Amino acid sequence: MVEQSQDHWLGSRLQTDPLTAGFVVIGVLFFLDLLRRLATGTVRPDTVATFLWSGIVFGMAIGLAGIGLAMTYSILQFANFAHGDLITAGAFAGWSSTFVIVGFGNIAMEILLLVGQPARISSQLGISVTTAPLAIVVGFIVSVLFAAGLAVGLDRVVFRPMRDQSGISLLIASVGVALALRHLIQFIYQPSTPSVVHDPEVPRQAIPVGSGSFTIDAHQVTLVVVALGLMIGVHLLLQYTKLGTAMRAMADNEDLAKITGISTERVVLYTWLIGGGLTGAAGYLLALEQGFLDLTLGWDILLVIFAGVILGGIGSIYGAIVGGLTIGIVSQLSIVWLPSEFTTVAAFVIMIAVLLVRPNGIFGGVTSV
Amino acid sequence: MSLLAVQDLDAGYGDLQVLDGVDMDVGDEEYVAIVGPNGAGKSTVMKSVFGLTDQMGGEIIFDGEDISDLDPNEIITRGLNYVPQSQNVFAGLTVRENLEMGAYILDELPTERLDEIYDRFPILRERKGQKAGTLSGGQRQMLAMGRALMLDPDLLLLDEPSAGLAPDLVDETLDRIDTINDDGTAVLIVEQNAKEALRRCDRGYVLVQGQNRHEDTGQALLTDQQVREDFLGG
Repeated sequence: MVEQSQDHWLGSRLQTDPLTAGFVVIGVLFFLDLLRRLATGTVRPDTVATFLWSGIVFGMAIGLAGIGLAMTYSILQFANFAHGDLITAGAFAGWSSTFVIVGFGNIAMEILLLVGQPARISSQLGISVTTAPLAIVVGFIVSVLFAAGLAVGLDRVVFRPMRDQSGISLLIASVGVALALRHLIQFIYQPSTPSVVHDPEVPRQAIPVGSGSFTIDAHQVTLVVVALGLMIGVHLLLQYTKLGTAMRAMADNEDLAKITGISTERVVLYTWLIGGGLTGAAGYLLALEQGFLDLTLGWDILLVIFAGVILGGIGSIYGAIVGGLTIGIVSQLSIVWLPSEFTTVAAFVIMIAVLLVRPNGIFGGVTSV
Repeated sequence: MSLLAVQDLDAGYGDLQVLDGVDMDVGDEEYVAIVGPNGAGKSTVMKSVFGLTDQMGGEIIFDGEDISDLDPNEIITRGLNYVPQSQNVFAGLTVRENLEMGAYILDELPTERLDEIYDRFPILRERKGQKAGTLSGGQRQMLAMGRALMLDPDLLLLDEPSAGLAPDLVDETLDRIDTINDDGTAVLIVEQNAKEALRRCDRGYVLVQGQNRHEDTGQALLTDQQVREDFLGG
């Protein structure tokens, strides 16, 4: 995964590179300022806890979505801009399945499938993880399978015929795929942002912090737990299975992988299946957590996902996870200092700052799974 | 009948033809060296045998079968394996994982074979959990050969195994190749260190500008006046 030694880079960089030193000092100052604000009461501990929690929730979604992007980058060596719309497609397919299961027989099919005029079906259906757990599990699985299948299908039609072309050609093709996919989704689902869960039905729990408290809801917990489980699953797959080892081998050195007899097309197939599946999972969970579907659900967060992936070291799935979490937490915590409209700005500033001092990202390798 | 027979091979990359009517044979358990000046096309011969170049004419027969149109993952099942000159280990994988990948096409890891390779290269057993990228140059060469030996090939292609190694390691590496050959694996080697390779091999080919120039036993080539003048430097 990572070739460079991680142990001493910070120490030696601090001595030789004023830029790194500067950013570390700024980071420490922000941290001290946060402590000061907490001590003087300018910022309440429960407020910080709220930001931190929403940062973790958002960061886990970004990290999960980033794994697929990092995998396609490391195995196929191109930045896949169609990734965002894969998220959207997965989420729509999954949620319409959930709606059909919950509302079958009571509400017109075209509305359940989200192709009819959007109604306020979420309140009629009253969906939440506790009221309709089975429908949500099924919808989640449909999202995963649909996005995985769609990813493989797109590969067969678009990316496989272009396998030997440059990363730039593939990137541009992927932008085309993204736009085509989005307009197809819009054509099928009409411009709509249907609510997917019935807010009053979502169980909530207040966690006391200091004199106040912050609230976590069941859907946030679902997202974090499922995302964590999937991340651990990907880790185990990559480190302890033959397929995973072959994937790392191919990311490491494709020519040698071919000579060794690794069936590279098979590895590519599984890359799309696994990466696409995780992407669908991220889309479904994100809609569950934010409570509504949006035609630009994936596209809107694509650049944030890229930021996380680049921050972590493009091509490293561990980097994608760490980068996603960092971006999520930093963007939410920035509300302590900045108006909340600036959260995305803060995320990208952090990304640029890290890239200035560590151009290959936190986890370094350019093509390492 | 020879194990590998390259006949009248024209090959190159895209529009660039490198090899022009090359003939080459390797018999069972034979040790054959290809020497020649830089740019003679020595590595291209090996890559062509492994299907990694654009073949423009001729035949490549292995064990009686034309393998010109086969992919590497089919070629290695026929009993042929190849160690490229550079980047011949998966740097991010552990030593053991590198060896496991050598047996990727098998359904199950041949643990006995793995043990034999660890016995042949004890340092690999010692370092099995270590990332290949952290190995020294000599150890990487051993790992690359170990990986290529995982399927117990009949013929091993070695592209400049001593490139970039310190002088004492060059001898050690070539000694190991002698042992591999003594144990029954035919070896086709491209070697910059021409005199040393010709001293050790059964037969040698001198390749110049993509064409066969001389072919004889190693000893005969070493003493051949013409070869010495053309190539070995007097």
